[in-house]
Amino acid sequence: MALLLRTVARQGQCLSRSQFGVLYRHAVPMGTTANEEMNKFWAKNTRLNRPVSPHISIYKWSIPMLMSISHRGTGVALSSGISAFALAALVLPESYPYYLDLIHSMTFGPQFLAFSKFALAFPVAYHTFNGIRHLAWDLGKGFKIPEVYRSGYIVVALTVLTSISLAAM
Amino acid sequence: MNIKLVHILELLILNTSVFLYCLFLSLSTALLFRSSSLIRPLAVQKKDRDCPYLISAKIHATPSNYAGSGSKAASLHWTGERILSIALLGLAPVAFCYPGPAVDYSLAAALTVHGHWGLGQIVTDYVHGDFKIKMANAGLFLLSTVTFAGLCYFNYHDVGICKAVALLWSK
Repeated sequence: MALLLRTVARQGQCLSRSQFGVLYRHAVPMGTTANEEMNKFWAKNTRLNRPVSPHISIYKWSIPMLMSISHRGTGVALSSGISAFALAALVLPESYPYYLDLIHSMTFGPQFLAFSKFALAFPVAYHTFNGIRHLAWDLGKGFKIPEVYRSGYIVVALTVLTSISLAAM
Repeated sequence: MNIKLVHILELLILNTSVFLYCLFLSLSTALLFRSSSLIRPLAVQKKDRDCPYLISAKIHATPSNYAGSGSKAASLHWTGERILSIALLGLAPVAFCYPGPAVDYSLAAALTVHGHWGLGQIVTDYVHGDFKIKMANAGLFLLSTVTFAGLCYFNYHDVGICKAVALLWSK
Protein backbone atom coordinates (compact mmCIF):
# COMPACT_ATOMS: atom_id res chain seq x y z
CA MET A 1 0.00 0.00 0.00
CA ALA A 2 2.82 2.37 0.94
CA LEU A 3 4.64 1.44 -2.26
CA LEU A 4 1.57 2.19 -4.30
CA LEU A 5 1.10 5.52 -2.52
CA ARG A 6 4.70 6.47 -3.22
CA THR A 7 4.46 5.39 -6.86
CA VAL A 8 1.37 7.50 -7.41
CA ALA A 9 2.81 10.44 -5.47
CA ARG A 10 5.95 10.45 -7.57
CA GLN A 11 3.92 10.78 -10.77
CA GLY A 12 2.62 14.03 -9.34
CA GLN A 13 -0.29 14.11 -11.73
CA CYS A 14 -3.25 13.16 -9.56
CA LEU A 15 -2.06 14.86 -6.37
CA SER A 16 -3.23 18.28 -7.44
CA ARG A 17 -6.91 17.41 -7.25
CA SER A 18 -8.62 17.60 -3.87
CA GLN A 19 -10.50 14.30 -4.25
CA PHE A 20 -7.14 12.52 -4.21
CA GLY A 21 -6.54 13.66 -0.62
CA VAL A 22 -7.16 10.09 0.41
CA LEU A 23 -3.99 9.07 -1.46
CA TYR A 24 -1.51 10.99 0.68
CA ARG A 25 -3.23 10.85 4.00
CA HIS A 26 -0.02 9.44 5.44
CA ALA A 27 2.11 12.28 4.02
CA VAL A 28 2.75 15.42 6.10
CA PRO A 29 3.65 18.61 4.19
CA MET A 30 6.57 20.57 5.65
CA GLY A 31 6.12 24.15 6.87
CA THR A 32 9.14 25.50 4.96
CA THR A 33 10.05 25.75 1.29
CA ALA A 34 12.92 23.79 -0.20
CA ASN A 35 14.85 27.05 -0.66
CA GLU A 36 14.46 27.93 3.02
CA GLU A 37 15.62 24.46 3.99
CA MET A 38 18.69 24.86 1.79
CA ASN A 39 19.58 28.25 3.31
CA LYS A 40 19.18 26.82 6.83
CA PHE A 41 21.53 23.99 5.85
CA TRP A 42 24.25 26.35 4.60
CA ALA A 43 23.81 28.76 7.54
CA LYS A 44 24.19 25.94 10.05
CA ASN A 45 27.29 24.63 8.31
CA THR A 46 29.00 28.01 8.31
CA ARG A 47 27.94 28.74 11.89
CA LEU A 48 29.35 25.47 13.20
CA ASN A 49 32.43 25.89 10.97
CA ARG A 50 31.97 22.36 9.72
CA PRO A 51 34.84 20.99 7.63
CA VAL A 52 34.01 20.07 4.04
CA SER A 53 34.82 16.54 2.91
CA PRO A 54 37.41 16.50 0.13
CA HIS A 55 35.67 16.29 -3.21
CA ILE A 56 37.39 17.86 -6.22
CA SER A 57 40.77 17.37 -4.54
CA ILE A 58 40.38 13.61 -4.48
CA TYR A 59 37.92 12.67 -7.25
CA LYS A 60 39.51 11.37 -10.43
CA TRP A 61 39.26 13.95 -13.21
CA SER A 62 37.47 12.89 -16.39
CA ILE A 63 37.22 14.49 -19.82
CA PRO A 64 33.56 15.51 -19.36
CA MET A 65 34.42 17.09 -15.99
CA LEU A 66 37.33 19.00 -17.48
CA MET A 67 35.31 20.19 -20.44
CA SER A 68 32.43 21.29 -18.25
CA ILE A 69 34.56 23.46 -15.99
CA SER A 70 36.47 24.74 -19.03
CA HIS A 71 33.17 25.85 -20.55
CA ARG A 72 32.50 27.85 -17.40
CA GLY A 73 36.10 29.07 -17.24
CA THR A 74 36.18 30.30 -20.85
CA GLY A 75 32.80 31.93 -20.28
CA VAL A 76 34.08 33.88 -17.29
CA ALA A 77 37.30 34.79 -19.11
CA LEU A 78 35.48 36.02 -22.22
CA SER A 79 32.92 37.94 -20.17
CA SER A 80 35.69 39.59 -18.15
CA GLY A 81 37.48 40.47 -21.36
CA ILE A 82 34.39 42.10 -22.81
CA SER A 83 33.70 43.99 -19.60
CA ALA A 84 37.33 45.15 -19.42
CA PHE A 85 37.12 46.30 -23.05
CA ALA A 86 33.88 48.19 -22.36
CA LEU A 87 35.35 49.82 -19.25
CA ALA A 88 38.47 50.82 -21.18
CA ALA A 89 36.30 52.35 -23.90
CA LEU A 90 34.60 54.53 -21.27
CA VAL A 91 37.73 55.47 -19.35
CA LEU A 92 40.59 55.78 -21.86
CA PRO A 93 40.89 59.17 -23.63
CA GLU A 94 42.08 58.12 -27.11
CA SER A 95 40.27 56.16 -29.81
CA TYR A 96 40.62 52.48 -30.62
CA PRO A 97 42.81 52.88 -33.78
CA TYR A 98 45.23 54.98 -31.71
CA TYR A 99 45.79 52.24 -29.19
CA LEU A 100 45.95 49.62 -31.91
CA ASP A 101 48.73 51.55 -33.67
CA LEU A 102 50.45 51.88 -30.32
CA ILE A 103 50.52 48.09 -29.97
CA HIS A 104 51.70 47.66 -33.55
CA SER A 105 54.51 50.19 -33.08
CA MET A 106 55.96 47.89 -30.45
CA THR A 107 57.69 45.52 -32.84
CA PHE A 108 56.63 42.03 -31.91
CA GLY A 109 57.66 39.09 -34.08
CA PRO A 110 55.10 37.51 -36.44
CA GLN A 111 55.08 34.39 -34.26
CA PHE A 112 53.99 36.45 -31.26
CA LEU A 113 51.17 38.02 -33.28
CA ALA A 114 50.03 34.63 -34.55
CA PHE A 115 50.20 33.21 -31.04
CA SER A 116 48.18 36.06 -29.53
CA LYS A 117 45.53 35.63 -32.25
CA PHE A 118 45.42 31.94 -31.39
CA ALA A 119 45.16 32.78 -27.68
CA LEU A 120 42.20 35.07 -28.38
CA ALA A 121 40.44 32.72 -30.80
CA PHE A 122 40.84 29.58 -28.67
CA PRO A 123 38.46 30.42 -25.78
CA VAL A 124 35.90 31.88 -28.22
CA ALA A 125 35.98 28.75 -30.39
CA TYR A 126 35.90 26.36 -27.43
CA HIS A 127 33.02 28.12 -25.71
CA THR A 128 31.09 28.29 -28.99
CA PHE A 129 31.50 24.63 -29.95
CA ASN A 130 30.93 23.32 -26.43
CA GLY A 131 27.94 25.66 -26.28
CA ILE A 132 26.46 23.89 -29.31
CA ARG A 133 27.11 20.59 -27.48
CA HIS A 134 25.17 21.97 -24.50
CA LEU A 135 22.28 22.99 -26.76
CA ALA A 136 22.16 19.44 -28.15
CA TRP A 137 21.89 18.18 -24.56
CA ASP A 138 19.09 20.64 -23.93
CA LEU A 139 17.23 18.99 -26.79
CA GLY A 140 17.76 15.69 -25.01
CA LYS A 141 20.31 14.34 -27.46
CA GLY A 142 23.66 12.72 -26.82
CA PHE A 143 23.45 11.75 -23.15
CA LYS A 144 24.81 8.21 -23.47
CA ILE A 145 28.32 8.07 -22.06
CA PRO A 146 30.05 7.05 -25.36
CA GLU A 147 28.17 9.89 -27.06
CA VAL A 148 29.29 12.35 -24.38
CA TYR A 149 32.93 11.41 -24.95
CA ARG A 150 32.59 11.39 -28.74
CA SER A 151 30.97 14.85 -28.89
CA GLY A 152 33.60 16.07 -26.43
CA TYR A 153 36.48 14.96 -28.65
CA ILE A 154 34.80 16.53 -31.69
CA VAL A 155 34.46 19.85 -29.82
CA VAL A 156 38.16 19.82 -28.87
CA ALA A 157 39.23 18.92 -32.42
CA LEU A 158 37.03 21.62 -33.96
CA THR A 159 38.33 24.15 -31.43
CA VAL A 160 41.96 23.48 -32.26
CA LEU A 161 41.33 23.52 -36.03
CA THR A 162 39.27 26.71 -35.90
CA SER A 163 41.74 28.50 -33.65
CA ILE A 164 44.66 27.61 -35.92
CA SER A 165 42.82 28.74 -39.07
CA LEU A 166 41.70 31.98 -37.40
CA ALA A 167 45.24 32.66 -36.19
CA ALA A 168 46.49 32.15 -39.75
CA MET A 169 44.07 34.74 -41.16
CA MET B 1 -14.13 -14.38 18.57
CA ASN B 2 -16.94 -13.57 16.18
CA ILE B 3 -16.54 -9.83 16.76
CA LYS B 4 -12.79 -10.08 16.09
CA LEU B 5 -13.48 -11.95 12.84
CA VAL B 6 -15.96 -9.29 11.71
CA HIS B 7 -13.43 -6.60 12.62
CA ILE B 8 -10.74 -8.29 10.54
CA LEU B 9 -13.15 -8.81 7.66
CA GLU B 10 -14.13 -5.11 7.79
CA LEU B 11 -10.49 -4.06 7.62
CA LEU B 12 -9.85 -6.46 4.77
CA ILE B 13 -12.77 -5.18 2.72
CA LEU B 14 -11.84 -1.55 3.42
CA ASN B 15 -8.22 -2.14 2.49
CA THR B 16 -9.09 -4.06 -0.65
CA SER B 17 -11.57 -1.45 -1.81
CA VAL B 18 -9.10 1.40 -1.27
CA PHE B 19 -6.46 -0.70 -2.99
CA LEU B 20 -8.73 -1.37 -5.97
CA TYR B 21 -9.73 2.30 -6.08
CA CYS B 22 -6.07 3.36 -6.20
CA LEU B 23 -5.33 0.67 -8.74
CA PHE B 24 -8.14 1.94 -10.96
CA LEU B 25 -6.93 5.55 -10.60
CA SER B 26 -3.31 4.72 -11.30
CA LEU B 27 -4.14 2.56 -14.29
CA SER B 28 -6.47 5.14 -15.78
CA THR B 29 -3.86 7.84 -15.14
CA ALA B 30 -1.22 5.66 -16.74
CA LEU B 31 -3.41 4.99 -19.75
CA LEU B 32 -4.34 8.64 -19.98
CA PHE B 33 -0.77 9.90 -19.66
CA ARG B 34 0.85 6.74 -21.10
CA SER B 35 3.38 6.49 -18.30
CA SER B 36 4.59 2.92 -18.53
CA SER B 37 5.99 2.94 -15.02
CA LEU B 38 2.50 2.46 -13.56
CA ILE B 39 1.53 -0.40 -15.85
CA ARG B 40 3.63 -2.86 -13.95
CA PRO B 41 2.94 -5.61 -11.36
CA LEU B 42 2.19 -3.86 -8.07
CA ALA B 43 3.82 -4.77 -4.77
CA VAL B 44 1.92 -6.87 -2.21
CA GLN B 45 -0.22 -4.61 -0.05
CA LYS B 46 0.52 -4.46 3.67
CA LYS B 47 -2.38 -5.45 5.87
CA ASP B 48 -3.32 -2.87 8.48
CA ARG B 49 -2.73 -5.21 11.37
CA ASP B 50 0.98 -5.38 10.42
CA CYS B 51 1.27 -1.58 10.75
CA PRO B 52 -0.92 -0.43 13.60
CA TYR B 53 0.73 3.04 13.63
CA LEU B 54 0.70 5.58 10.80
CA ILE B 55 4.03 5.97 9.04
CA SER B 56 4.11 9.63 7.99
CA ALA B 57 6.42 10.77 5.26
CA LYS B 58 7.43 14.42 5.33
CA ILE B 59 7.09 15.92 1.90
CA HIS B 60 7.33 19.29 0.23
CA ALA B 61 3.82 19.52 -1.21
CA THR B 62 2.44 22.44 -3.14
CA PRO B 63 -0.97 23.17 -1.55
CA SER B 64 -3.68 21.84 -3.80
CA ASN B 65 -5.17 25.29 -4.40
CA TYR B 66 -1.79 26.48 -5.75
CA ALA B 67 -1.36 23.53 -8.08
CA GLY B 68 -1.09 24.48 -11.73
CA SER B 69 -0.78 28.22 -10.96
CA GLY B 70 2.89 28.24 -9.85
CA SER B 71 5.30 30.78 -11.30
CA LYS B 72 6.84 29.91 -14.64
CA ALA B 73 9.57 32.52 -14.22
CA ALA B 74 12.44 30.07 -13.80
CA SER B 75 11.29 27.95 -16.73
CA LEU B 76 10.89 30.98 -18.98
CA HIS B 77 14.33 32.24 -17.93
CA TRP B 78 15.85 28.91 -18.94
CA THR B 79 14.15 29.03 -22.34
CA GLY B 80 15.22 32.63 -22.80
CA GLU B 81 18.84 31.69 -22.12
CA ARG B 82 18.76 29.01 -24.84
CA ILE B 83 17.04 31.24 -27.39
CA LEU B 84 19.60 34.00 -26.76
CA SER B 85 22.46 31.50 -27.17
CA ILE B 86 21.08 30.41 -30.55
CA ALA B 87 20.58 34.06 -31.57
CA LEU B 88 24.17 34.86 -30.62
CA LEU B 89 25.33 31.84 -32.60
CA GLY B 90 23.51 33.13 -35.67
CA LEU B 91 24.83 36.65 -35.15
CA ALA B 92 28.46 35.59 -35.65
CA PRO B 93 28.32 34.82 -39.41
CA VAL B 94 26.08 37.87 -39.93
CA ALA B 95 28.72 40.03 -38.23
CA PHE B 96 31.33 38.58 -40.56
CA CYS B 97 29.33 39.08 -43.76
CA TYR B 98 27.38 42.27 -43.00
CA PRO B 99 29.35 44.39 -40.51
CA GLY B 100 27.67 47.66 -39.53
CA PRO B 101 25.91 49.55 -36.73
CA ALA B 102 22.85 47.27 -36.64
CA VAL B 103 24.99 44.19 -36.02
CA ASP B 104 27.25 46.18 -33.66
CA TYR B 105 24.42 47.11 -31.33
CA SER B 106 22.84 43.65 -31.60
CA LEU B 107 26.16 42.10 -30.63
CA ALA B 108 26.56 44.53 -27.74
CA ALA B 109 23.13 43.61 -26.38
CA ALA B 110 23.40 39.85 -27.00
CA LEU B 111 26.91 39.53 -25.56
CA THR B 112 26.04 41.58 -22.47
CA VAL B 113 22.85 39.68 -21.64
CA HIS B 114 24.41 36.27 -22.41
CA GLY B 115 27.32 37.10 -20.09
CA HIS B 116 24.99 38.51 -17.45
CA TRP B 117 22.83 35.38 -17.37
CA GLY B 118 25.87 33.11 -17.46
CA LEU B 119 27.54 34.87 -14.53
CA GLY B 120 24.16 34.83 -12.77
CA GLN B 121 24.18 31.02 -12.90
CA ILE B 122 27.66 31.03 -11.36
CA VAL B 123 26.40 33.25 -8.51
CA THR B 124 23.49 30.86 -7.96
CA ASP B 125 25.85 27.90 -7.84
CA TYR B 126 28.51 29.20 -5.51
CA VAL B 127 27.05 32.03 -3.41
CA HIS B 128 24.91 31.09 -0.40
CA GLY B 129 22.99 33.12 2.16
CA ASP B 130 20.28 35.67 1.41
CA PHE B 131 22.43 38.78 1.97
CA LYS B 132 25.45 37.52 0.01
CA ILE B 133 23.25 36.46 -2.90
CA LYS B 134 21.64 39.90 -2.99
CA MET B 135 25.02 41.64 -2.90
CA ALA B 136 26.53 39.41 -5.59
CA ASN B 137 23.58 39.93 -7.92
CA ALA B 138 23.68 43.70 -7.34
CA GLY B 139 27.37 43.78 -8.21
CA LEU B 140 26.74 41.67 -11.29
CA PHE B 141 23.94 43.97 -12.40
CA LEU B 142 26.27 46.96 -12.03
CA LEU B 143 28.97 45.21 -14.05
CA SER B 144 26.59 44.28 -16.85
CA THR B 145 25.18 47.80 -16.99
CA VAL B 146 28.65 49.32 -17.26
CA THR B 147 29.58 46.71 -19.89
CA PHE B 148 26.58 47.51 -22.05
CA ALA B 149 27.13 51.26 -21.63
CA GLY B 150 30.78 50.90 -22.62
CA LEU B 151 29.99 48.79 -25.67
CA CYS B 152 27.31 51.20 -26.85
CA TYR B 153 29.69 54.14 -26.29
CA PHE B 154 32.30 52.31 -28.35
CA ASN B 155 29.79 51.61 -31.11
CA TYR B 156 28.68 55.24 -31.22
CA HIS B 157 31.90 57.23 -30.70
CA ASP B 158 34.46 54.77 -32.00
CA VAL B 159 34.80 52.28 -34.86
CA GLY B 160 32.25 49.71 -33.58
CA ILE B 161 32.66 46.06 -32.58
CA CYS B 162 32.78 44.49 -36.06
CA LYS B 163 35.30 47.00 -37.35
CA ALA B 164 37.35 46.63 -34.16
CA VAL B 165 37.71 42.89 -34.64
CA ALA B 166 38.53 43.37 -38.32
CA LEU B 167 41.22 45.94 -37.50
CA LEU B 168 42.68 43.79 -34.74
CA TRP B 169 42.99 40.85 -37.12
CA SER B 170 44.34 42.84 -40.07
CA LYS B 171 47.87 43.13 -38.68
